[in-house]
Amino acid sequence: MLDKLKGFLSGVAADYADLRYEVKKVASVSFSGKELTSVGSNATDGFVARVLAGGGLASVAFTKESDAKKALAAALENARLIGRNIKKPVTLARVEAVKDSFSPALKEDPRDVTMEEKLSLLRAYNDIPLRSAGIATTTMGYADTVRERTFVSTEGHEVQEDLVTVRVSGEIIARDGGLSQNVRVAVGGSQGFHHVRGKDEAFEARTKIALDLLKAEPVRGGSYDCVLNPSLAGVFAHEAFGHFSEADIVETLPAMRARMKLGAKLGSDCLSITDDATLPDQLGFYRYDDEGVPVRKRKLLENGVLVGRLHSRRTAAEFGEEPSGHTVAEDYRFAPIVRMGTIFIERGEYAVDALLEKLGDGLYVLDAKGGQTAGEDFSFGAQYGYEVRGGKKGRMVRDLNVSGNLYRTLMAVTAVGSDFDLAKTGGCGKGQTNIRSCHGAPHVLIKDLVVGGA
Amino acid sequence: MEKLLEMAGKAADQAEVFSLDGRSSGAGFENAELHDIKADMACGVSLRVIKDGKLGFAHTRNLRDREELVRNALASLAGGVEAGFTLPSPSVPAALKTADHGIEGRGSPDLVAECGRVAGELKSRTAGEIVAEAWVGEQTLRIANTNGLSASVRTTESGVRAGAIFPGSASGIFRLFRSKGFDRMPQPALDEIVWLFNAGVKEVEPEGGRMKVLFMPDAMLALAWRLMHGASAKSAYEKVSPLAGKAGEKAFSSELSVTNDPLDDSLPGARPFDDEGVPSARFRVVDKGVFQGFYNDLNYSHKLGERPTGHGYRTAMWGGDPLELKPTPYLAHLRFEPGKKSLRELAAMMDRGIILCDALGPHSGNIPNGDFSVGVAPGLYVEKGEIKGRVKDAMISGNVYGTLKEVVAVGSELCQSFGGLFPPLLCDGVSVACR
Repeated sequence: MLDKLKGFLSGVAADYADLRYEVKKVASVSFSGKELTSVGSNATDGFVARVLAGGGLASVAFTKESDAKKALAAALENARLIGRNIKKPVTLARVEAVKDSFSPALKEDPRDVTMEEKLSLLRAYNDIPLRSAGIATTTMGYADTVRERTFVSTEGHEVQEDLVTVRVSGEIIARDGGLSQNVRVAVGGSQGFHHVRGKDEAFEARTKIALDLLKAEPVRGGSYDCVLNPSLAGVFAHEAFGHFSEADIVETLPAMRARMKLGAKLGSDCLSITDDATLPDQLGFYRYDDEGVPVRKRKLLENGVLVGRLHSRRTAAEFGEEPSGHTVAEDYRFAPIVRMGTIFIERGEYAVDALLEKLGDGLYVLDAKGGQTAGEDFSFGAQYGYEVRGGKKGRMVRDLNVSGNLYRTLMAVTAVGSDFDLAKTGGCGKGQTNIRSCHGAPHVLIKDLVVGGA
Repeated sequence: MEKLLEMAGKAADQAEVFSLDGRSSGAGFENAELHDIKADMACGVSLRVIKDGKLGFAHTRNLRDREELVRNALASLAGGVEAGFTLPSPSVPAALKTADHGIEGRGSPDLVAECGRVAGELKSRTAGEIVAEAWVGEQTLRIANTNGLSASVRTTESGVRAGAIFPGSASGIFRLFRSKGFDRMPQPALDEIVWLFNAGVKEVEPEGGRMKVLFMPDAMLALAWRLMHGASAKSAYEKVSPLAGKAGEKAFSSELSVTNDPLDDSLPGARPFDDEGVPSARFRVVDKGVFQGFYNDLNYSHKLGERPTGHGYRTAMWGGDPLELKPTPYLAHLRFEPGKKSLRELAAMMDRGIILCDALGPHSGNIPNGDFSVGVAPGLYVEKGEIKGRVKDAMISGNVYGTLKEVVAVGSELCQSFGGLFPPLLCDGVSVACR
């Protein structure tokens, strides 16, 4: 395949061109309540090309090999069109032309596990909530996704890397009369099938939360001091800050770019945030991004000061900063964009009890239920929470959604816990879905968050 | 396609081949300057087989080996997914004009020109950071099954989405416009962006409480998703729908009527049949506040013993790849029916409230129960009918089954947005939490 791809690129009269061929293999099983709704394995494939010519960079995705010449010609024409219509030509930061083939060391390759076993495992997990009388239904899915990527460029890149992701995820819905409550459950990782074995406790715990939520009171909307658990604090790092460390977002927003200058004091002294997809044995691990650039650990916020950013080759050149290897596509249907790899808040010094004590009166908010950012404003849902009075956990509350302003909230992080946890599954949807988007944190105490309630 | 169907039909009791072949290109302007052009040429085939009451499924982007695809579909039968339904027989679908010659020959230079025009006007009339994207594309969808159905539809579409971002915030006022041909974004849409943007430049910090909220079209997804979930035959079958047992009952405000209309071929994407080949029909979800009934696909119509309503679509909450997804009940052509008030008249009806221009986190929260709690992205604060400025750090919360009982008035202009065709909707007594 390498030679074929290089052959396609050889005829392109451009300053630079790259071509990614990808085979995506997915084995999946799903249940809706007691009913099995799908089982199957499939492989699909396609190409994505990018061309830099005349000062413009354009991309094309195509699925038929026979369309390669036409697709590359279209990208070349579009690149030149861009070049004629922009003031400052696009350039790419210089990188080493890597030649490497890398397959992750899997503890248990999901491709070696039979579909019968995958089905049996998911059925067993799905049965856990369905055994409880108060559970109305579930949706539960197993999927292992393998991206076999081959990347070549006119600079000499020849990179092959497989990304293997395994997950069991779903929703448990409890119902009592007219009231429904739902919680999400997810286990998984990127080092093999072992991530989803032996996880009964996770499904039992989520079932109990769903049932307990039927008796919980809706939270009263307003402004609260909150302790977020690692799942939620990780989403906070991702949504509230992480997206603005992605250089392609701030690149063309002049006011925000001016505010997000390296060296700017954006957060409180206790807050440090890093992206490190090179960490072994965690969901977000990869070696090369979809520009063939090795991913690097990047400190982003150090004691509240902005010290780094995540880059593509294009944004690195634009900002005059080092490429970081964070240009990632969902699959063969998409050109890559700048994505977080494994973003996390670094450990602090407080035990969880000490954080609750420091909180005094407020809310203890737990577990992510989706999040979104729109510029400096962010929002994320929580699965459940507890009122805290005098540092003691009180009654459970539901219907928790938290909203905030990036700058104000980063400054409002008051204390950081000494514990730490990384997400086991991901699903960031910045135009494309990144199932390996990983985030994590210790518990954190944040002052004065807006919480939407009934 | 015919050969594949023949091979699958020999190996199974029923078989269906679904194929897509399409191409598109898109241009994006950021900070009022051309930034990116993308093109896409994609095709693929998806195969469903039914044998001994069990369902098999397989798909591919490149049909190099028909036998392999059939083998994959047959292999998945072993899982034991039940399929009691029968694939549809041929019928006479509605005659729709889903493709427009005006799109032929249109390409990147036209997209760049339209984005440039829109961005130029917004830049000259606001102090915003201007974003504009435009696209053009066409797609041919074919469905054939072993019960004799063989149907295809070619659709064309162009679109523009543009907006002005409040500097420093990355949040702004946007409008979307789509057409079958190659039409320019209408002037009233641009005027509305300019009006709302300029009215929201000043930041204000109102007190929270229960007040009127004007849900703008881009924010309607927070309500529409929950209503769609509740009105789905899947939710009815699973006994998690708050609308269970309420068909024919007044469940919402008399101001509210909601239709799914795949036959409206004035818009791009009209469909004579759904993704299973079932003929499309207009489907009233809510009529003057009265819930009309549940929409279904073949699978859930069989499970509930009801007639298929033609709402089997290969989609998921955020879209997804139709070749990889199996049909599920979905309202792909949702329309909240318009009322009689202009946007300015609706604003004038607000003693105190928020114009929710876009909702942050419509997917968060307890969708089965109808609860929503969304950030403002952005929200404009109104007092005595006058927009006072832009609110930050606020959340709008409620339950769709309560909020849609409190519809005060409905806007007269239908706007296209992600998820459907919506007018602005003014609701009373909505909880607003502010700092």
